[in-house]
Amino acid sequence: MAAIFQGLQFYPGKSIVHRLDPRVKLFLSSALLITTLLYLEVTVTTLIIAIEVALAAVSGTVKRWIRTVYGAIPLIIAVFAMNYLVRAFQYSGFLNPMGLYESFAASYRLIAFLASFSIFFLTTTPEELGMTLTKLRVPYTYTFAFISAIRFTPILAEELQTIMDAQRARGLELDRGGPLARIRKYIPVLVPLIVNILRRSYELAEAMEVKCFGASKKRTFLKELKMTPKDLAALVIIAVFFGSAIYLRFFYPLRIP
Amino acid sequence: MIRLEDVEYFYPNGHKALDQVRLEIEKGEVVALMGENGAGKTTLLKHLNGLLKPTRGRVLVDGIDTRKATVAALSRKIGLVFQNAEDMFFSSTVWDEVAFSLRNFGYEEEVVKRRVEWALKFMELDRYVDQSPFVLSGGEKKRLALAIILAWSPDIIALDEPTTGQDQLQKEKLMEMIKLLNMQGRTVIISSHDVEFVAQLRPRVILMKKGKIISDGGAEEVFLDEEVLRSCNLLPPQIVSLTRRLDFLGIKPSLPHPRQLAEEILSKLGEYKI
Repeated sequence: MAAIFQGLQFYPGKSIVHRLDPRVKLFLSSALLITTLLYLEVTVTTLIIAIEVALAAVSGTVKRWIRTVYGAIPLIIAVFAMNYLVRAFQYSGFLNPMGLYESFAASYRLIAFLASFSIFFLTTTPEELGMTLTKLRVPYTYTFAFISAIRFTPILAEELQTIMDAQRARGLELDRGGPLARIRKYIPVLVPLIVNILRRSYELAEAMEVKCFGASKKRTFLKELKMTPKDLAALVIIAVFFGSAIYLRFFYPLRIP
Repeated sequence: MIRLEDVEYFYPNGHKALDQVRLEIEKGEVVALMGENGAGKTTLLKHLNGLLKPTRGRVLVDGIDTRKATVAALSRKIGLVFQNAEDMFFSSTVWDEVAFSLRNFGYEEEVVKRRVEWALKFMELDRYVDQSPFVLSGGEKKRLALAIILAWSPDIIALDEPTTGQDQLQKEKLMEMIKLLNMQGRTVIISSHDVEFVAQLRPRVILMKKGKIISDGGAEEVFLDEEVLRSCNLLPPQIVSLTRRLDFLGIKPSLPHPRQLAEEILSKLGEYKI
């Protein structure tokens, strides 16, 4: 489960994707995400996943990207199961091909969905992320909260592992028993984790106050974001693709599986 | 008995944390794993109860391959106390916290009651039975973590960095505790970079560096090898440095008990007839 967070963690690199203006990347990820949500067709989902894999390959983050998807497998299975159950009632039958196809499409779409923003987070530094949000006029207090959440995610994932280890050393067997018993078994893991998170947030708040967080209303940044011709070109290409995706969906619906 | 046969371990990120570790620990030994942060001490400890399985080589505990046993089964033999005690607290009372592990291991409620009472008394925590583990002081939390493990009475007790954040008095109590556990015939393994603590405990010392064991022997033998110690970013214990400076009195570099050294100095000074 902790692996899913790896897809949200920045890894330094020098690829074209890394160097792209974060605003363009945000647009790219949003475009992929929205397109994923617009189409249920497996062909389109496959196309989007192909684009995402290509982008991951160019930025050299395929391995981590795959790990994110791998970590999401329980989630994907859960989505499939839920869809399948609901559709079994809808089509009154468990073996209805339409129900099976739609449940598959929904869970398959989840991969494209999760991966879309993974590309953004894998190639954007928390600093750039902060600048992007500031440019989008998000108040810095919220931006900071968001950045810290991303920064602390890997630390918390590590802590989660340590706590799980500590409880397993006390004879807790997380992977044993029925589904309900298993959920109950996570209480000894979640309580120390939440306690640690709360303590950490108090410590962070104190550290921020010591450093006079919020003393000046207008923030300046060491680096300023600037759009280069390359960024603009990328922006135009993404806009064309995204525009045609929306056009095809609403004005010229395709008849594909 | 614990046996590590050419153990290598790689973390999922590709970092090699253990490198060709060959080690045997007999029943009833007191062992200190030493080395700087990231040397592989905790990784090694986690191999003993199967939390981590070797990438190459194998770990045998009483002849059982850790890859073929569950963590729960191995933990009954080896109690591992984690560095940060708070990582394991979740119950609303100290009593429940200790009882949790015993129930996991399937003890009868009657036995659970007896063992919890014994363990809390043994660690001098019996007056806190109804309190939340989170309101205890730092030292008490460490003691509770140890009580939790002692409750099911494992043959081998592994303590990860037991002295961090402890004052001198707590350290001395811990030392007595380790000696007591050892007297009961238990194997005690600690990881530490507290040279002074280990010097006083005088266990078998295993020095680790970058996942490798670079020195293994009695405390005196290891602590006298200043070059190897320094390569692990460790300073020799003060008493060893002192004996080195007392060369002019004819005292050999060694790791004596402080009182023993004091007596020796006095007797040598006596020869000077001030």
